[in-house]
Amino acid sequence: MSGGHVKLESLTKQFGDVTAVDEISVEIQAGEFFSLLGPSGCGKTSTLRMIAGFEPPTSGKILLDGTDVGRWAPNRRNVNTVFQSYALFPFLTVAENVAFGLKYKSVPKSERDSRVAEALEMVQLSAMGKRRPNQLSGGQQQRVALARSLVLRPSVLLLDEPLGALDAKLRRTLQVELGALQKQVGITFLYVTHDQEEALTMSDRLAVMNHGRIAQLGTPEEVYNEPADAYVADFLGVSNLMDARVEPGGNGQGRCRVRVGDFTLEAQAGQLDAKGDVKVAIRPERIHVHPYETGGVNCLPGMVERLVFLGSTTHIYVRLANGSALQALVRNEGSAVPYSQGTPVKMDLPADALRVLPDPGVSVSEIHDETLGDAPLDLTSSVPTSS
Amino acid sequence: MASTVGEPVSTSPPSPAERTDRGRPRGNPWRRPWAMEGFTWLYIVWSIVPIAIAVLFSFNKGASQATWQGFSTKWYVGNQVTSVLHNPSLHQAVIQTVVLAVLTTLICVPIGVGFAIGIDRWRTRTANGLNIVMIFSFVIPELLLAVALFLLVTQALTFIRLGTPAEVAGLVVWNISWPAIIVRARLVSIGRSYEEAAADLGASRLGAIRRVLLPLLMPAIFASAVLVFASTVDDFVIVEQLSSTANTQPMSVLIYSNVHGGLSGPALNALATIMLVLSLVAALIGYVGYRWMSRGERTKGDADALTGIAGI
Repeated sequence: MSGGHVKLESLTKQFGDVTAVDEISVEIQAGEFFSLLGPSGCGKTSTLRMIAGFEPPTSGKILLDGTDVGRWAPNRRNVNTVFQSYALFPFLTVAENVAFGLKYKSVPKSERDSRVAEALEMVQLSAMGKRRPNQLSGGQQQRVALARSLVLRPSVLLLDEPLGALDAKLRRTLQVELGALQKQVGITFLYVTHDQEEALTMSDRLAVMNHGRIAQLGTPEEVYNEPADAYVADFLGVSNLMDARVEPGGNGQGRCRVRVGDFTLEAQAGQLDAKGDVKVAIRPERIHVHPYETGGVNCLPGMVERLVFLGSTTHIYVRLANGSALQALVRNEGSAVPYSQGTPVKMDLPADALRVLPDPGVSVSEIHDETLGDAPLDLTSSVPTSS
Repeated sequence: MASTVGEPVSTSPPSPAERTDRGRPRGNPWRRPWAMEGFTWLYIVWSIVPIAIAVLFSFNKGASQATWQGFSTKWYVGNQVTSVLHNPSLHQAVIQTVVLAVLTTLICVPIGVGFAIGIDRWRTRTANGLNIVMIFSFVIPELLLAVALFLLVTQALTFIRLGTPAEVAGLVVWNISWPAIIVRARLVSIGRSYEEAAADLGASRLGAIRRVLLPLLMPAIFASAVLVFASTVDDFVIVEQLSSTANTQPMSVLIYSNVHGGLSGPALNALATIMLVLSLVAALIGYVGYRWMSRGERTKGDADALTGIAGI
């Protein structure tokens, strides 16, 4: 179980004219839980399949503990994959599935059985060894797939959206279990997902991918709190993104003045030395909603358009005077939200929460988070930029 | 709105919007489709009755194929001269049919399976070109192939003797499409993930085919074997051209050559009935076996079994 250090050097994959993975370079430490996060078509699965050995790289290197394995057949790599479709062999029992790979590992027969039992115990399926995969639930099947890979003690475990086919509640449970399991076995996990919550919950570090490139690499806290650009800010959680223009003055003092529509705001986070057209972003949970009479710096007037009760929180959608929309998140603490549709309010955007981000030029709306449905989030088109 | 007072719910007149162009109410959309059912039954009767009559007269007590004279199994076992059991040319035909069907199935299916895997998993220009061979028997008239094969084995490849060797060779060529198409269809529906999983767990390419792909293909292989068997039992054109002496004539050829004279009478009906039962039993075994083998798979099973047995 030694090793597990993965280094990708300018890894590129082209399918015909399409570049799926575009010169990715990243180093994953041994024993790390690393996630590749991005929307479908961003190249994360292609990257995983190249590391697994199912696709040859067009160019670049895949260094596994210092050895370039990019051209090796999958069965020669000490890397195992957990597939989204599980790919359990339907004609074998659960125990036979788990034992499948041990045949190639020159493990003595006596030890084989004990290792299978150990692996099944690790995923809490000891009682299911004699069943067929189709007699198990989706979550159990996914655990069998995990056991089938872990029993081989790979140096790296690749997980391709392993929880994608499960329902939300089971997914949460398995997220916690997977994280704990990884700490327990100490194997490098490379986890591919489009679900930002999964990536944030489990990863030590994660890479947000976009169009075959890495948009940002960092810990979940860094990527969530300090997104490098508007794409990352929008993909990870809900962000209020506004087109803005940097105004002169205020630079260099850890603050930056930006013009959003008719208002000038002060921002103290992000790229404070940016010039020209930028985007400013603020997380909904950082916005304070005040009664309309309140005044102050960074307070924008607007009108409540919609309230969406989400259980522990309530989303307040506010339409600003210039036609753009912002959403705020208010914790439900027993009392009802004192606003209703049509109430004029002030939106307080604290300067330390307002981030200035370079505009990567991609449409934000096309990558949107489905949890909000048709929420009025497409700010890019509705906010006029003053010039 | 038309009045609905006093009408049962199921036959209430539709609203004006549901009326046809002629203004006549369309009636109950859930009524039994009498016309469709009637046509279907008419078709079934039309196609089954002649066969049933032929089968029935194989059990005739008399020697007539037209007048019913009571039930008897003499044309199968009783009659010392012309029953299937006692007449040498009749029971030789049964044996020859079974021998041809078994040999053809044993040779044809492995070749067809290998062919399907090759075309589907190692895609090259050659493989794509060979794709056309898969629909060979649907495109080429059987008689043309039979005559061509006859010329081939009598003029060029004379080491393949007329009779059983030539018949088997011809039947293999003619039936190769069954395993090729059915197995290929299943390969497509299986996808590559199982092989990838096997390779990922340490299996070589051949190992993955042997330990994972072949077991997964088993239902399709079985179904195609059954179809090849049944189709060989029924074959006439190829075996007629390529048989040599009376000893190598299977049932179909014997029936054809005796139907207008020679060994006529209910014994021929008995022979035809045996042929029919062989095919039917093979198809039934195929259907049940396929369902049983693919029981582990929650989806697709039904559709695959149907396409497999019905022949796509």
